[in-house]
Amino acid sequence: MSGSAALATPPSGAVLEEFSYDDDIVRKFLWATVIWGLVGMLVGLVIALQMANPWFNLGLEWTSFGRLRPLHTNAVIFAFGGNAFFTGAYYSTQRLLKARMWSDGMSKFHFWGWQAIILAAALTLPLGFTQAKEYAELEWPIDIAIAVVWVVFAINFFMTMLRRRERHLYVAIWFYIASIVTVAILHIFNNLSLPAGMFKSYSIYAGVQDAFMQWWYGHNAVAFFLTTPFLGLMYYFMPKAAEGPVFSYRLSILHFWSLVFLYIWAGPHHLHYTSLPEWASTLGMLFSVMLWAPSWGGMINGLLTLRGAWHKVVDDPILKFFVVGITAYGMSTFEGPMLSIKSVNALAHYTDWIIAHVHTGALGWNGFITFGMVYWLLPRLFQAPLHSKKLMELHFWIATFGIILYVLAIYSAGVTQGLMWRAFDETGRLMYPDFVETVLRLLPMYWVRVVGGSMYIVGVILLLYNLIMTWRARPGRYEVPVVRAAALTPRYEGPAEAPETGGVISRISGMRYHRKWERLPVTFTVLTTLAVVVASLFEILPTFLIKSNVPTIAAVKPYTPLELYGRDMYIAEGCFNCHSQQIRPLRYETERYGEYSKPGESVYDHPFLWGSRRIGPDLARIGGKYPNLWHVRHFENPQEIAAGSIMPSYPHFSRHAIDWDALAKRVGTMAMLGVPYGNAVTEAIPMARAQAEEIARDIEAAGGPSGLADREMVAIIAYMQRLGRDISSTASRVAP
Amino acid sequence: MKLSDIIGNSGLSIYAQIALVIFVAAFVAILIWLFRPGSTERFRRDAQIPLDDETPVERRTPPKDDA
Repeated sequence: MSGSAALATPPSGAVLEEFSYDDDIVRKFLWATVIWGLVGMLVGLVIALQMANPWFNLGLEWTSFGRLRPLHTNAVIFAFGGNAFFTGAYYSTQRLLKARMWSDGMSKFHFWGWQAIILAAALTLPLGFTQAKEYAELEWPIDIAIAVVWVVFAINFFMTMLRRRERHLYVAIWFYIASIVTVAILHIFNNLSLPAGMFKSYSIYAGVQDAFMQWWYGHNAVAFFLTTPFLGLMYYFMPKAAEGPVFSYRLSILHFWSLVFLYIWAGPHHLHYTSLPEWASTLGMLFSVMLWAPSWGGMINGLLTLRGAWHKVVDDPILKFFVVGITAYGMSTFEGPMLSIKSVNALAHYTDWIIAHVHTGALGWNGFITFGMVYWLLPRLFQAPLHSKKLMELHFWIATFGIILYVLAIYSAGVTQGLMWRAFDETGRLMYPDFVETVLRLLPMYWVRVVGGSMYIVGVILLLYNLIMTWRARPGRYEVPVVRAAALTPRYEGPAEAPETGGVISRISGMRYHRKWERLPVTFTVLTTLAVVVASLFEILPTFLIKSNVPTIAAVKPYTPLELYGRDMYIAEGCFNCHSQQIRPLRYETERYGEYSKPGESVYDHPFLWGSRRIGPDLARIGGKYPNLWHVRHFENPQEIAAGSIMPSYPHFSRHAIDWDALAKRVGTMAMLGVPYGNAVTEAIPMARAQAEEIARDIEAAGGPSGLADREMVAIIAYMQRLGRDISSTASRVAP
Repeated sequence: MKLSDIIGNSGLSIYAQIALVIFVAAFVAILIWLFRPGSTERFRRDAQIPLDDETPVERRTPPKDDA
């Protein structure tokens, strides 16, 4: 904007250039951070209320827990967390590199593109358009838009690096580079799918492999979207707020490389005791445990940056936010490796413990680093004193106590339910065979969470108020500080380097090549990418290519067209958010749900639907357990069948007609993915109609409602009745 | 025999061990690089980068809206 004008030559001989930073884009992202943060957390409050009392599902198909839960996670991760990262990155990158962003136009495109994607998510997720992969729910057109916007951001970022006026890339920039590159890789490879309509697609992976890819992605979304970007912010804003350099720069470099090398491997710890091959699960556990060290190194590095400045924490709420935020990073990265240990995981998996763990990280680490950063930026960006320091202080305390209430309640809910699931009485039978008993016990804790979460939200409202009031006190026109720095010479002449005496040995011992490659952002980026890609391939290739990993089972057949349609309803309703389909080989699981799940059982599952949480019981072997009419009654009013159930009702299943053309198209898409459908591709509609009529007749004969033969209800029931029955198809197939 | 069969039977399970060796080697290399002689001064300077980035030579209020 203000152009770079060459000035008189300074004594050193380098040419000084004048330039200014683009803070307008930072202000935009800051607004988006706070507003989307509030929206995402309010959706979180709604689903927290739904768990405490199913009335809050409102009886509408668009507002059930299964549809709103992905909206909450996507909003807080990508809208709140994403915009917070961009706010801090655009502010600090320009200053650390002493260069304005390469293209203001691209910065603006990034901003508006990202907000449009968030809006698209807010519309499509309640409508039931989802890929059923956690944190990657958005359907393919939006995925493409994300890739485009991300690439524009990356180009703008890397071009700015190439035109920088600061030789050395500060460690915060390293963290940004790793995040930008890795998120792109994760996003593209996990979302590879074949479209079966405008907002419908099937993952190209199936079963075990899809599960593996999803959690390779899912875990690294936590690593490279919620950890490394925010560590970059910590390494910039913490020294700023503490007014002193980071405790140990060496430690920050070690922190960086260790995280980049280790995180990529850790994904399989989300799949302990599932059909994933055991070696992969063990590998994931080992690397997760190793993550303990660098994570705590980073926490200590962040906290000790306050050495000699601890007295400032008393007066400065910004430092308080940072101290609690970094401590929360330490707590959740202590807990993460612990939860990845198989025996601990056996208790914690599928329970609220994981939810508590996640919220320690999200509310404490991501939230507090963001709030500290936003408060630090407010007077600088809006060029007016912060409206109220008192309200900032109040925000800190109310949010801190909100987190404590939230996590304590949900930790105890998690452990309680985990212990109840595995309890046997003295005769060797399950102590709580009725799943709903283990839910009812948790309701008081769910109400405490509502209180704690609300306190946290009140804090964000205080922040928004402070932001609005500070913004209103802004000057008529923002001042644009002009900065002066020397352009980089094309070749680096370092301070007092030893003259090259020739020969390979002297070059190596002079370490000149080291200085060279770290000055070259491209080389550095390639190295980071290499670390991530090599690690991924070492883990992915064997999972995909070793045959013994997924032994085939001859009895397992593809879903019938009608069952496939029902499965897509299951996906659209987000049933997988509350019901797993994966029975672990543990006695208390097989006792409750039946034979444990085999890898060969999900070979036709595009995508896999193993789930990660049991708010309701596992459904892997629900097929044939109850009559068709039971399912009709249960979907229409779950509380009538299971008193105290917190499941939403689905009366619209009986209202909506089956879309036969979509059904045929989906069978065709599945066949293209290699599912052996044979003549079912051309015969999909008559096959489905015949099966639908059979189920409808059975429901009517049992005294249920008539006229369901063309309703979606029969499709979802067909799917329910199929689940888990293939491996025992001859033994237990009784007429439902 | 398909290519996937050939790869599938070629004993890829040793990949994890190979990777471990590579990664430990990389880690050791980084450690050596971090503590090589004479690096202290350089890291001390690098750590100062975020602290000396706010030295405007002048403040300008643009005549027209600069949004």
